[in-house]
Amino acid sequence: MKLKKMLAVGAAVFGFAAVHAHADTELEFWTMNLAPKFNAYFEQAVTKFNAANPGLKAKWVDMNWDQIQPKLVASIAAGNPPALVNFNVPWVHEFAAQGNIVALDEYVGAAKNTYSAGALKDVTVNGKMYAFPWYNSVSIIAYNKDVFNKAGVKSAPKNFDELVSTAQKITKSTKTAAFAPKLDNFEGWFYYAGLPMVQNGKAVFNSPKHVAFVQKFADLYKAGVFPKDVFKMAFEQEIAAYNSGRIAMMTTAPQALKRTETDAKAVYDKTEVAAFPTDAGQRAFGAWLMDFVVPKGFKNPAEAAKLGLFLTGDEQQVLFSKATETTFPSSKKANLDPYFQAGAKSADVVERARAVAAKSMDNARTLTIPPGVLPDAASMNKKLQDEIQNAIEGRKPVKAALDEAAAAWNEKLAK
Amino acid sequence: MKTSSSYTAIAYLFLAPALILMGLFTFWPVGYNAYLAFNDYSIVDATATWNNFEHFKYLYHEELFHDALKNSLIFLLVVPVLQVAALLVAKLVNNKLPGMTFFRAAYYIPVITAVPIAGVAWLNVYRYDGLLSWFLKTIGIIQNDVNWLGEPEIAIYMVMVFTFWKGIGYYMVLYLAGLQAIPAEVEEAAILDGANAWQRFWKITVPMVKPTILLCTLLSTIAALKSFQEVVVLTRGQADTYTALYYVYAQAFTNFNFGRASAAGLVITFFCVLLAIVQFRFFGEKK
Repeated sequence: MKLKKMLAVGAAVFGFAAVHAHADTELEFWTMNLAPKFNAYFEQAVTKFNAANPGLKAKWVDMNWDQIQPKLVASIAAGNPPALVNFNVPWVHEFAAQGNIVALDEYVGAAKNTYSAGALKDVTVNGKMYAFPWYNSVSIIAYNKDVFNKAGVKSAPKNFDELVSTAQKITKSTKTAAFAPKLDNFEGWFYYAGLPMVQNGKAVFNSPKHVAFVQKFADLYKAGVFPKDVFKMAFEQEIAAYNSGRIAMMTTAPQALKRTETDAKAVYDKTEVAAFPTDAGQRAFGAWLMDFVVPKGFKNPAEAAKLGLFLTGDEQQVLFSKATETTFPSSKKANLDPYFQAGAKSADVVERARAVAAKSMDNARTLTIPPGVLPDAASMNKKLQDEIQNAIEGRKPVKAALDEAAAAWNEKLAK
Repeated sequence: MKTSSSYTAIAYLFLAPALILMGLFTFWPVGYNAYLAFNDYSIVDATATWNNFEHFKYLYHEELFHDALKNSLIFLLVVPVLQVAALLVAKLVNNKLPGMTFFRAAYYIPVITAVPIAGVAWLNVYRYDGLLSWFLKTIGIIQNDVNWLGEPEIAIYMVMVFTFWKGIGYYMVLYLAGLQAIPAEVEEAAILDGANAWQRFWKITVPMVKPTILLCTLLSTIAALKSFQEVVVLTRGQADTYTALYYVYAQAFTNFNFGRASAAGLVITFFCVLLAIVQFRFFGEKK
């Protein structure tokens, strides 16, 4: 009898647990390269979301950036994608064009207006919002005061032409490369300069204005203003070059300064910061919006949207920026939080960099070609990039290089 | 008493797990890839639409694919160099000399080092003013620093040097196993007959490790045609280093054109099979 009772109670408990477990909708969300540094942030976010949303169970999974796309494609094909995936803007456009992510307008409602205009434009494809804007960044200029003084440069450049002339002055007087611009995706520089890439279905990046703009880079390269291996320099190499004195200025995101602080204290102590100037495009350089998308095939998109709105809401965005110290929210209200301007007059360069960058966020747009324009993005981008490299490194006249790339693009665009 | 057919059945039973796994994870994907190469595949609803030879026609006219294929074929130059070097190193470390255990381990370290980590180290070697430029300037071979991974004329060869460095230990171990399987008496008899070291190498070592040479050449040929990771880490396809597999990756995961990626994959497979046949004919046992 006793055994029967125990079994009955056990069965009831098991049954309740099973029903309860079934009642929870699991919302797995994937992020890129944020563990283990931000484990504490995500643990609190998950706990807070789960407590406020009975029946929903958020689950955080972090993976490397190069794994996330293949794994997502595999999970979509297998019919069990996660609720949310951390994407960058080009991926949003690619996946939206392929129909692999869900348009979110019907799930976000009025909350759409909480995001900054630039961020919303970044994630809008064919008039529909395809991602929850999350954290963003923007380039600043970090420079070595000693080198500037030696070159007789009194202040940081206020516009792009001043940046060019300052850099030339530094290289001429110190025989050191002045800076290492990111050249691995040159279309961003065209947008920065307010120069279009494709108009009326034709490539237009071989106009006299484009040629003159690329020529500036070719001249700077020839004069040794850029390191000769500038095309090989990614984020990591640029920081290492600045820390070791190979370049006088770092023109990159403020978080790079954290690395200078830990790896090269002597250089860090001589570092000052300034805003990265805008050019004709009136866009802050270096913006790279991170966001969350809902993959097609996830069975509960409305619930996924709840989590997306929570993670990219004002409160969580400020908390995340505080955790990273060097990224910025994409929501209007969060960006006004006093935290971002509190360090404007601080003795700490990282805090000053944060204040400088936050002021540029209004102009922050991810500088990438509009969605759906390129029929064969991989080949076309490769062709343009090869020709830009040929032009800047002096293997080909700029006009000839851009003409050749434009002809190759037009051939594909005409099909 | 068991019949020969029951022995055969038992033998197939033993082989069954391996055959099932190979079927599932090797032959089925290859077959499915071949099917996709003639289709437009939509990942959203997992549907394939037959499109005849359109992907192959596209590849036939696609300049980037030609360049990628050419680079992959250039990459094959690393194979003979790597095999000869690995065999010579194996011969060297096969000697019972002091410190040989250390050298065997040292040559193997690159094999177990992850490509991204090794790549970061080599980026510093290849940097414009990096270790390689410094060394060659110091010994007077070059006057000025060289942009090793930025010059289209040399970048692909620099990537191949990295592949060589990474692979030599792996093939050395295989050759070492082959060398140690050669009976000592054969070598001793040759010494008694007055054969010198060079003659012994050509007349005894090379013929007796011929099956290992075939295996290693085959493996490194396939590896060379599949070169991808080193390109991602060192050049990201810039400076004329786009390889065939990089092209497949870009088509599949940047353009989401799985049909075209499959067609390109099938072309690479065709080259792999073709080269394997040539190698079997060249190194295989003559009947």
